[in-house]
Amino acid sequence: MHSSLSNIRLAGLAVSTGSVVRDFMADGLARGIDRGQLERIAKTVGLRERRIAAPGVTALDLCEDATRRLLAEMALDATSIDAVIFVTQTPDYSQPNNASLLHGRLGLSKSAAAFDLALGCSGWVYGLQQAALLCAHGGAARVLLCAGDTLSRLTHPGDRSTDPLFGDAGSATLVERTGHAAPFHFVLGADGQGSSAIMVPQGGARQAPGAAPLAEITDSEGNVRHAANLAMNGAEVFNFTLREVPSAVGAVMRLAGYTAETADALVLHQANRFMLSTLAKKCGFTAEKTPMAVVERFGNQSSASIPCALIDGLVDRLEREPLKIVACGFGVGLSWGAFAGVIGPLTVAPLRSFPA
Amino acid sequence: MTRMQHLPALQADVDVLAGADEATRLDGLPSWDSLAVLLVISHFEHVHKVEISGAQVRACRTVGDLLALIPLRS
Repeated sequence: MHSSLSNIRLAGLAVSTGSVVRDFMADGLARGIDRGQLERIAKTVGLRERRIAAPGVTALDLCEDATRRLLAEMALDATSIDAVIFVTQTPDYSQPNNASLLHGRLGLSKSAAAFDLALGCSGWVYGLQQAALLCAHGGAARVLLCAGDTLSRLTHPGDRSTDPLFGDAGSATLVERTGHAAPFHFVLGADGQGSSAIMVPQGGARQAPGAAPLAEITDSEGNVRHAANLAMNGAEVFNFTLREVPSAVGAVMRLAGYTAETADALVLHQANRFMLSTLAKKCGFTAEKTPMAVVERFGNQSSASIPCALIDGLVDRLEREPLKIVACGFGVGLSWGAFAGVIGPLTVAPLRSFPA
Repeated sequence: MTRMQHLPALQADVDVLAGADEATRLDGLPSWDSLAVLLVISHFEHVHKVEISGAQVRACRTVGDLLALIPLRS
């Protein structure tokens, strides 16, 4: 699906990360994994350290912290928000949704809408499209988009294909209606036939929590997990990404009239360095224009990784000048969302961990 | 160009194949793992412009089997 939405701007951005630092090498050595093997993976995939949520801290807490800091930085009252969209796959409860819980915590107006989007790594772009739609055509003047997950809680420590990858974070993005801004362009898509490539089998209505015993299974590579853990077929996800992301990025750049030379940055979901460098090349972007540092310092942060990369890689420029940004998120679903538009100047709350 | 002539390029991209020949068994390589599978997929995509699946790579027993996945036009 292609869409172009006018008279909107991205006004502010904040990200709060988990506060517990996990070191890839130290964790691997403690589990008895060969040092040479770890160094090879660290170098190729770009795993160094990640930040996970402290016990008891959820995506809701991380996003609330990011939102409160952003509102303070912008000197805005929470009652000025017309809608809150919460993108997460790790909500506090199956009911009510996180958006309603955050609505209550922040004391939003009863006329403010609140709803969740159940998406992962593509979710920030999907959420941004929904926020822009509400501002452009839905009667909202200011929409709060929160995107975050605590995927580190879903992995099994014995699963080397997922456990070392994920960091936890929550983001807050403020989108506003304005009179004279260049359009935001979006390309959204999905391939539901590939949905089993990233999956947590137990925990929903199909296989309710406790419906089946959590028997551990060991795959052909020695990875251990059970039905309530996140399972990922890395090769299938890699193929999907190489197949869909470059074409989505190309399509959204054509909508915006950008080229890899005229765009200021390509901000991709921070999956891992290997995937990022491969995608940057296929999309025709230089490494200098493609922020890649987030995944090595914070881990794969699911839907919070694009806002985190915007802040971590571009904050100095975004605070003072308009930048032509191309972004693409991709992952669970399988789904993808690409964005192209001018972002900045905007307010950015400093990146920090929560609790501080 | 024969498939065997593609081996040096494959070895350059997939580090764990260094020193291997056509008959080398993949399950005998100490670091033949999911990362190596990704590197093979990436190599085929970049060099040979074909998409191969993880299942295709995992079904290979030897380096020669991997090379047999290269399209003849290459």
